Parts: sequence; C-alpha cells; structure tokens
Amino acid sequence: MRLFEYQGKELFSKYGIRVPRSKLAGDESQALSAVEEIGLPAVIKAQVLSGGRGKAGGVVLVRTKDEAKREARRVLGLRVGGEHTRALLVEEASEHTQEMYLSVSLNRGRREFVALASRSGGTEVESLAKGAMVEVPVPLEGLTDDDSYTLSTKVGLYGRTSSEFRSILLKLERLSREEECELAEINPLAVRFDGSLVALDSKVVLDDNALFRHPEFSQLPPEDPLEGEAAKFGFAFVRLDGDVAVVGNGAGLVLSTLDLVSDFGGRAACFLDLGGGAQRDRVEAALRLVRGLPNARVILVNIFGGITRTTDVAEGLKGVLSEAPMALVFARISGAEEEEARALLSGAGVAVFRTPQEAALAAVKAVSR
Amino acid sequence: MTFAVPEVDEPVIVQGITGRYGGLHAGLMLRYGTNVAAGVTPGRGGQAVEGVPVYGTVKEAADKTGARASILFVPAPALLSAAEEAVGAGMRLLVAITEHVPIRDTLKMIRLCEESGARVIGPNTPGIIMPSRRLKLGIMPSPSFREGGVALFSRSGTLMYEVADALTRGALGQHIALGVGGDPVNCTTLTECLDWAAEVDDVRSVVIVGEIGGDAEERLAEHIIDTRFPKPLVAYIAGRSAPKEKHMGHAGAIIYGDYGTAESKIAALREAGAKVAMTTSEIPAIVRASRSEGEGHSPPRSSKSP
Repeated sequence: MRLFEYQGKELFSKYGIRVPRSKLAGDESQALSAVEEIGLPAVIKAQVLSGGRGKAGGVVLVRTKDEAKREARRVLGLRVGGEHTRALLVEEASEHTQEMYLSVSLNRGRREFVALASRSGGTEVESLAKGAMVEVPVPLEGLTDDDSYTLSTKVGLYGRTSSEFRSILLKLERLSREEECELAEINPLAVRFDGSLVALDSKVVLDDNALFRHPEFSQLPPEDPLEGEAAKFGFAFVRLDGDVAVVGNGAGLVLSTLDLVSDFGGRAACFLDLGGGAQRDRVEAALRLVRGLPNARVILVNIFGGITRTTDVAEGLKGVLSEAPMALVFARISGAEEEEARALLSGAGVAVFRTPQEAALAAVKAVSR
Repeated sequence: MTFAVPEVDEPVIVQGITGRYGGLHAGLMLRYGTNVAAGVTPGRGGQAVEGVPVYGTVKEAADKTGARASILFVPAPALLSAAEEAVGAGMRLLVAITEHVPIRDTLKMIRLCEESGARVIGPNTPGIIMPSRRLKLGIMPSPSFREGGVALFSRSGTLMYEVADALTRGALGQHIALGVGGDPVNCTTLTECLDWAAEVDDVRSVVIVGEIGGDAEERLAEHIIDTRFPKPLVAYIAGRSAPKEKHMGHAGAIIYGDYGTAESKIAALREAGAKVAMTTSEIPAIVRASRSEGEGHSPPRSSKSP
C-alpha cells in the first residue's frame, strides 16, 4: 500500500525526521487558511499516489494570496495519471542549496533490504549514471552507527551534513523496519544553507501482507469501481486498453494468455486472475466483472481445471450468460470432466477450445472482423 | 547448497491439517501415494483428519513418525513461527504453501535456513511433486504429472501445471516439478534448483518457467554460464506483453523501468545457451530437440573474462 505524501511525512515526523511545516487542505477555502497559517511564499502540492505529479503541474510555488487561490483551485481539479487530486498539502517554501536522495528498499535479487543514497536527487534521480547511487545492506536487526558512517562516507559528506545524514538514515531505516515498508524514500532530501537536512517529499510503500500487524493503516477503497469489485473477491485485476478481456485462474497462466493475444495481433482489455482454484461462484463473479469493462468486445477465458471439476466452471459460465446478453465468450477449459464441460457449453453461446492458442486466436479474429 | 527430497514411503507431516485446505490436500496427497504420517495443529492433538493422527506440536509428530519433511498450510501470520517450530523439531525440508506472507518474515525464514541447514520451498508455492517416488508435497493436480527425466522449476503455479500437462501429453515425464513461489523473494531460488538438478542423474533436461519481475532468470543465466551447467535447458518466460509498473497477479510479477522485463530475461537465458520457448505448447518439441542434440551439447562459454 502506497501512502500519500502527507501520510509519509507524518511517519517521518513520528520518527524524528525533519519535514517542512505543512497543513493538509481538502478544499479551496481550507487551502487559503492553510496558506494564511504557513505564510507566503508557499508550495501547493497535489496529494496523489500516481507518479509524474511534478510534470503534470501538481506542485506549484505561490507568492501571493491571489496566486494561491487560483492555483489551489487548479490543482484540486487536476488529474495525475488518471487519478483525481485527493487533497492539497500546503507547505512552507524551503530554500536549499542541494537535493540528495535517500531510501531503504528491498533488493529482490540479493534477498535483503538496502539503504541507497546519492548526492543528487530530485527529478534527476532516474537519469543518474550508474555508480552515482551508493548503498549499504540493511541487516534484519537494523543498521548500526558504523553502517551509517560507511554510507555517509560513500556519499562523500562531511561536517554537519554528514552527522544529520547519518541520523536521518538510522531513523528512516528504523521506520522502514518497524512499520514494515517495502520502500521508504526521501527524494529530495534537501541540504539547507546551514548544512542541515530536510525531507521535502516522501514515498512510503507498506508491505500489504504485513498490514495485519499495523491496523492503524487502512486501505483506501480504489477509485475505480471495477477494481473495488475485484478486491472484494480477491481477484488480481489490471485494466488494459485493448478489447479482449482475459480471465483465467493463476497469475502465470493469465500472463501467458495475454502474450498469446498480443502475438496474434490483439490487445487485451484486462488481466483478471481469479486465483488458483476455479470454483463456480468465482468464475461467475469474474465474468460479471469484465462484462462491465466498456472497452471489452470479447471475453477470453483460460481455465486450467486441475483438481476442480471443469463442469462446475461450465455451469458458472452458462449461468452468467443466461442472465444478460454479453460479449462473445471464447473459452479454453482443461481438466477433469472436460468433455462433459464442452458438451454443457455447446449451444450456450460460448466457443470452447482445447488449447489456449486456439481460443486466443479465435478471440482475436472475432474483434478484428 | 542442495537439498534432500523424501524417498519413497518416507513419512511426511502436514502443518495446518485441520484447516479446510490442509485437510483437502492431505487427502489428495495420501491418495497419490505419499506417506502422510501425521498432521499438526496447535491445540488440536488427538483428532484425526483423513485417518491421519493430529498432534499439537511438530515435536510430537516428529517423535511419533520420524518425519523430516513438512508441508505447511498455516495462515500467513503464523507461518514464520510454524517454520521455526518445524526446524526446531528436526524438519529438514519445509514446503510453505501459505500466500500473503510479509516480506520480512520470508527474509527471516531464509536466515533460519542459513543457520540450521534446513530448506524452505516457497512461500506461495504449489509445492513439489516427484512421480517416481509417488511423492507429492503440494497442491498440484497429479493427473498432469508423469514419471520421467525432466526437472520442471516454475515461478508460477498454474503455468507449471499447464507445462507439465503439455510435457506429459508429449510423452516427456518429469523427475521433479517444483514451484519456487510467486513472491518477490523465494526461500529457495531457481539457481538453487538448478544446482539440485545438476547433481541428480535421473534429470536429463531442465525446463524453467519464469515470468516478468525481479532478476531471478538473469541470475540463473549467469549461474548456467559460471557452473557450465551440463544438461539441456529450455525456458519459457510469461509476460512479454505486460505493461510496466503494474502488479500482474503475483506480488513478484512487476516491471520497474527496464528491471524485470521479459526481453532482458530471454536475452540473458539465450546468451547462456538455453533454448527459449515463446509459447507453452512448443516446450515439449524443444525439449525433445535439445535432448537429441545429445552429446553435441556444448557448455556455453564462461562469463568470467580470462
């Protein structure tokens, strides 16, 4: 679960990491009284979870009340990566000489957490040359003072900046460990004229699987009603922009089905993994869900039955089809009792195939006609 | 570092056997011919599930049966402590079916393995099946698997079944099929599976089912080169058409920038001399062809410059 910037900064404050003075505003008038309180100049920042906020105009410096009013209204109406601005963070403008980068994140390949840092941060961080980013591994019990010296030296810091950096690093790592973050990132970590450091932004991603130990964080319901529906059933669901809705049981199986659609020149309308099993009620729920996708013209179902009786799956398909007319359905159903399943579906408006290739090809042909 | 899989009729235990899922699969494992000798659920000692006695602790179950391997169906919040208990009671092989395990609990299980020499497969794995031993420590549909010479290692569950099914239909049985798990971090890696396969004479060829996300396949490719892996290897990577920065079902299946793309994995594996299949259905033919190359198979060049 990704936290909003303001939530991440609340965590930073809790762990003693310095952040600029700020106030959260839900609407224009709250934004104006926040500016009043924080003082001018101030920075107005859209609270969204999508990346590319700066480029989309979601961060703006305001110098006058008029400007603040105009910009608050504009940013509140902004969409970043399809996502509405949920709130504004009004923050004191912070003068600084340098922007650094600091994070604690999982290195999958090495199977350990690492602390990463760089002398240059901000939006340039992605175009940094290899080697500009330095790191130390993070032991499961946490970083030691020695580790913090090692990283600070690698970055090339000295004096007040070095001591502040080491302190912030240890705090950020403790936050990452105690709150069970996948990622805890400060970018930019600004160096002020006096050498002190302040966290200008936050990017905190919590480990969803560890949320049972952290009940204080609650998941926001997704903006997209179909995603909400998918979450209710525990489906993995990703909207895509093509016209072939792909449904299957098992993430790898659905991924491989998307590849087939693409190889045949088609474009998938979604990825929907209904989970390892293939119980009838789940198949039904998945079909009802993709029926709501406006861009889906055909539905491609790939079920590898395994220990599930495929006749159950077929009954589910038939049941949903009888409720309302829907897009053409192409299905590959394999597993126990597959002949019976095919017989059940003949005449029910479902084209059933023996292999995923045949089903995918037929689905793609149907939309390109 | 390699690991021992139970022999024919060697006793195994099921942790979490009184759960709906644990009980269902204990029965299926028994019917496959695996010696499920005991189940464990704290506080439920004295019961029986599918005729299998249930004990309150792994220690009791181990003392009564002599089992050294366990399959775990316990809920995610309890997995780490269940694994610690199992290792403490002498289990050497743990198959963790449990999904949604916190990443730091998985990292702690990796350390538990390093310190004890025990082996955890998973979490979020379909498990292991070895048809020649009638051994099933997993949830896979057994009709898709037949005895033979292929070692099948997969990051995905259903895709492993799909590929096994295609191999079996193509008269290519499996010596072992093992899912490493769909999480970002696996306690047993594809690379470790390859080391296992290198040492087992019954394995004639290896099939790897990878997917987007992480760098397990790239590391595997490096390992093939460094160890001059001596057997034919066929790989398939799911997710060539997947968009970036979206979790595609598995927590581990996500591309960031150029990290974790199918192109990178396919290129690395080809570079290492592996044959890469573009669809699951062409895997059997490629396995057959790479085998018939037989003695002509030459180990790829070393990645280390002289």
